[in-house]
Amino acid sequence: MTIGWILLFALIIACALGVVISRSPIASALSLLVGFVGVAILYLALKAEFVAAVQVLVYAGGILVLYIFGIMLTDNEALRLTRQVHFQAWPVFLLVLVLFLWMGHKLYHSDYAATPPAAKVMVVSGGDQAETAIAALQAQSQVAAGTNTQRLASVMYGNFLYPFEAASVLLMVAALGAVFLAKKEI
Amino acid sequence: MSMQGLVILGFVLFCLGLFGVLARRNFIVILLSIELMFAAAGVNFIAFSGLWHDLTGQVFTVFLIAVAAGEAAIGLGLLIALFRLKHSANIDDASELKG
Repeated sequence: MTIGWILLFALIIACALGVVISRSPIASALSLLVGFVGVAILYLALKAEFVAAVQVLVYAGGILVLYIFGIMLTDNEALRLTRQVHFQAWPVFLLVLVLFLWMGHKLYHSDYAATPPAAKVMVVSGGDQAETAIAALQAQSQVAAGTNTQRLASVMYGNFLYPFEAASVLLMVAALGAVFLAKKEI
Repeated sequence: MSMQGLVILGFVLFCLGLFGVLARRNFIVILLSIELMFAAAGVNFIAFSGLWHDLTGQVFTVFLIAVAAGEAAIGLGLLIALFRLKHSANIDDASELKG
């Protein structure tokens, strides 16, 4: 684990902490912006170039700007003077801490990283086909030549065409719903 | 890069987002914390996609970003409706359905 990874992880976690604990909502939004850029760098380092670009374009460029508009529209002095943290913060902190420790223990002792699921099925079902399955998976990933974006496009518009269309319908319904909710007389 | 570090990073992000949703009072900060939890799911998708040499995880991350965009739109619509009604973005002021 090199120093770069540690710095990147520290940046992302520090920004996430800043989102949760900073007093002013605009500081939270800007902290989240830096955190999303950090996550995009992480995606780049994990060889997901297209998703990194989408992350910066859509999240940092689009969604965060929407949130900052929302903050500008609704910010007032009275909100800034009230307590920013709910009275249930300490019980919630304990609850999340317990969840973190329990699930972290489970994650630390699990073997999720061992083998791909297809090969694992092969291992369970019948012995010596596991090596063949792993070799087939590796061959499959190398046969599909081209850049990350080209391969991603062939998967997204091949196997996932209908979910893709469903996502576009979802976005349209969300936009219509947002317009309806923000209307004057609801 | 070890998988364990990435999974733990995603889980830390998720826990911070969960804490923000449950403990903050400003509606916008609650929405931003939900975005943190989305980012945690995305980190996990990308990490396992890289581990198993399978692009499905990256496709799902793109869908996840689309869902997050829809959530932001609906959330801001709700925020504006709440602000019209109460002149406040404080989540404790929206208590009509309290018995």
